[in-house]
Formats: sequence, C-alpha cells, structure tokens
Amino acid sequence: MDMNPVDIAVHDLVVNFGQVRSVLTGVDLAVRRGEFVALIGASGCGKTTLLNVIAGLVPAASGTVTVAGSGPAAGRADICYVLARDALLPWRTVMGNVEYGLELSGVGREERARRAATYIEKVGLSAARDLYPSRLSQGMRQRASLARAFAVDRSLYLMDEPFSALDSQTKLVLHDQLLGLWEKSGATVVFVTHDIGEAITLADRVLVMSKKGTGVVDEIRVDLARPRSAEALQADAHYHDLYRRTWTSLRASAQ
Amino acid sequence: MTDIANSEASLGSAVRPAGNRPALIFAARVLFLVLILAAWQGAVAAGLASAAFVSTPIGVAQSLWQLFRDGEILPDLGTTVLEIVIAFSLSVVFGISSAVVLDRNDWLNRIVSPFLTAFNSMPRIALGPLFILWFGIGIASKVVLAFSLGYFIMLLSTLGGLKNVDRDLLLMSRLFGASELRLFRHVRFPWALPGIFAGLKLTLIYCSAGAVIGEMIAAKSGLGVLLQSYSGRFDIAGVLALILIVALLVMTLTALMDMIERRLLEWSRGSTDVPG
Repeated sequence: MDMNPVDIAVHDLVVNFGQVRSVLTGVDLAVRRGEFVALIGASGCGKTTLLNVIAGLVPAASGTVTVAGSGPAAGRADICYVLARDALLPWRTVMGNVEYGLELSGVGREERARRAATYIEKVGLSAARDLYPSRLSQGMRQRASLARAFAVDRSLYLMDEPFSALDSQTKLVLHDQLLGLWEKSGATVVFVTHDIGEAITLADRVLVMSKKGTGVVDEIRVDLARPRSAEALQADAHYHDLYRRTWTSLRASAQ
Repeated sequence: MTDIANSEASLGSAVRPAGNRPALIFAARVLFLVLILAAWQGAVAAGLASAAFVSTPIGVAQSLWQLFRDGEILPDLGTTVLEIVIAFSLSVVFGISSAVVLDRNDWLNRIVSPFLTAFNSMPRIALGPLFILWFGIGIASKVVLAFSLGYFIMLLSTLGGLKNVDRDLLLMSRLFGASELRLFRHVRFPWALPGIFAGLKLTLIYCSAGAVIGEMIAAKSGLGVLLQSYSGRFDIAGVLALILIVALLVMTLTALMDMIERRLLEWSRGSTDVPG
C-alpha cells in the first residue's frame, strides 16, 4: 500500500465560508491509491468541508488540491460521492435506483440490469429489489445506496458519514457489506465519520482533525488484518487498543 | 377526491388500516345518499319546505330525464364541454411550461411574481363582463375566463412542486454526472408530479366554473345559458338538474385523473387529493 502512487494530494489548503470566516487553514493530506482513509474529528473541525473540496463541491481559497492527477470537479467520471442521506429516488424501486447510477454513467440497458442485479445481491437486497424506498428500513435504504455507488465501479469513493443515522447493530452489518464491496473494488476511499469504532473497523489509516480547522493533527495506522469482520473485531483486543488510542487523540484534538 | 389521504402508508407501515374494505365503504356511501334524498323528499312532503323553492329529488330526476329525452340539452352540453376542454388544456400546457421557465430563471421569477400574485388575486369572475366585451359572446370569452382561473392554479401548484425538490437528490444526480435535462426528467419533474396532479384536479373544477359562469353572463349556447333561463322561470328542479350534470361531468373526469395518478404515483401511496 505504501508503494502505491498518491491519489489525492492536498497542500496548504485554505477554505473560507463567506468573506471572513475561514473553515480550514493550512491543511495537508495525502491518500494513496487503493487506500481506505477515515477522517475523524469533533463537529465543526471541517472534515466534511475537506471531503467536499476533494469532490469539487467547495472551492479552495488557496493551496493546491490534486485528485488522480487533475483538479477537483463535481460530477467527474472517476469519483463517486456517497451522501449522509441515502438519496434514493422515491419513485424508483431498489433495482431502478441502482440502475439510475449506471444510467447516468452511460451504461447500456442490458449491462445496467445485469450489474444492478449483481450488486443488489452483494448487499443482500435481492428479495427487496422491486420495492420502493418508502417500504425499506433505514439500513436497507443505505445498502441500496451502497449498491448504487459500487455498481458504477469508480476509482475513488468519497463518503460523508453514510451510516450516521443507523443503530449500532445495523451499522456492523453495513460495515461488513461496505468492506466486502470495497475489498474487491481496489478503489481509494475517503470516509468521513465521527464514530471511532467505525473508523477503525473500516480504514487503513484514521486521520484525526483539529477542532481549530488546521487539518490533520494525528494519524493512527490500523494494522488489523484483512479481510475484517466488524462483528469479530468487537472481541479483538488490538481493536480496543486502537480505539483507546484514537479516543485519547480525538479528545486532545478538541481542546 | 374520494379517498382520504393515508399518511401512515408513506411512513412505511405495511399494514392496511382497518375498515378499508371497498364494498363496505361503497354501501355506506349509498346509504348516506339515500338518507339525504329521503330527508329532502320527506321535508317537502311534511310541509317543512316548499317544493317551489327547493324542488324535490323526484322533481330533479324528472327534469334530468326531460333534458336528455328530447336531446334538448345536447348542443348546450357540447358547447360547455368544448369550452372546458380547451380552457383546461391551455391551462395545463401554459401553466406547467411557465412554471418550468420560472423555476429555472430565478431573476425572471423575482421580476414577475408580484404581477402574478396581483393578477391571481383579482376576482376573475368579476372580469367576466369585460372578457365578453373584448372577446365576444362566443366560446372565446368563456375559454379566456376559465383559462384565467386555471392557468394560475396549474402554474402555482407546479412551481410549488418544482421549488421544494429534494436538494440531496439533485446533488447525488449531479455527482453521478447528470445533465440539466436528465435532472429535470429524473428528479425535478417526478418530484413535482404530486403537486401537478393536485393542480390538475383543482384546475378542472375552476375551468368548469369559469365556463358556466361566463355563459351565464352572456352567451349563445351552453349550460350557463340554460341555467339563466331556468332560474328566470323559477324552474328550481331544472337548475339543480343542470348543476348536477356539471358536477357529474367534473367528477367523471376527476375519477379518470385519479386513476392515472394512482398508476403514476404508485410509489408514494399517499394521495394528493385536495378538498375542492
């Protein structure tokens, strides 16, 4: 992993909201290709803003941002952004929603149906593929959203707290499904969360961001073997060591 | 128009609410109608009300039968239906397209919206005599009157739907690479559809009222002309029979729209029914 080329490079980034308030100042970040990085920090630390800069949704006031060799731009064909809310179209079934992402990516009708069915099966929603989102639980909706995201097979995934609305049991199931989808994809992931357990379960590196908006203040390398199982990790002593270490760091960052 | 919106269904409840048996509901409706008609007929028979003022259900039924038996009503019915159909179609086409234009051009919306509100606030019915003066006593003036009511309803209900579109759905689609055209087709328009359907039903009601009232002011033919002459002759049964015809016509068309709506909005399960 450490040998892979840098996929996302952020240097001396400054982001302002309006004329006066600066949200981020002097932020540096490097993410290697195929790496799963979790951004964690107290609310207001600018983690989502940093993600949105990489996605091309928020302009940088100064500094450089390079994503796979070029500047950030919204709607790039090599990036997939997963929102905190599932953002499923209420008038499309699960199948229709997964096909929607493929349709917007220019995939032909037959290939679309085939790939959508495959990914719906991967997230265990085959029985619900003809249901409308209003008939699904929160967890099922988020699984459909994951299927839609990974069916399009992008090289970079930006995820903004996709599981924050779920209860802890459902979260574990979703973690395993995300890991399953990601491990086969080889994609780079930047995952924003405020949940320490989630960050350690999923990521190769957990980056702790300062509450003052000055960027990454600590890095925790998660040397847990892959493939991981979210449930099995709950009983893993090393997982809990990393948890304590991250917690201490996070508390320090908030002061 | 017939079913009360079931908001629970949209919360994801899989259970059908109790008492949702169609046959039972239908029977209760028939009973309700019979009770009202019996009370009406009974009140006249008992001398509590005078048939000269309120007629009777049987009297109305006889008038209805006479109207159709002679075929006397058909040319007038044809005129009114034609006016309603033209005004309704124009309201829908221009209302929806204006809403789309205003939704996409915020500056234009900000310029014209006070004027739209001003025009929509005018009692258009009171402008009826002016419309007759400007557009003659033929069908054109009735179409204009009905359109002036229907257009704004269609415009405002469509615009309302387009304006409150879910930002996350737009953002998600854009990030997947959707063009403006696709955003409209896949997100904005479906999102506005429940509002559009609510608008369609109200528009139909107001177009019908506009056409009939326009005819009552001055016309060569139409149900409004008959209404005027019947009320001039104090033929209460005839007046009520004509109003019943208009109501049945509107209800039939509304039922048709309900059917289309149920198919198109199957996903929502809620209903956009509005009391009209």
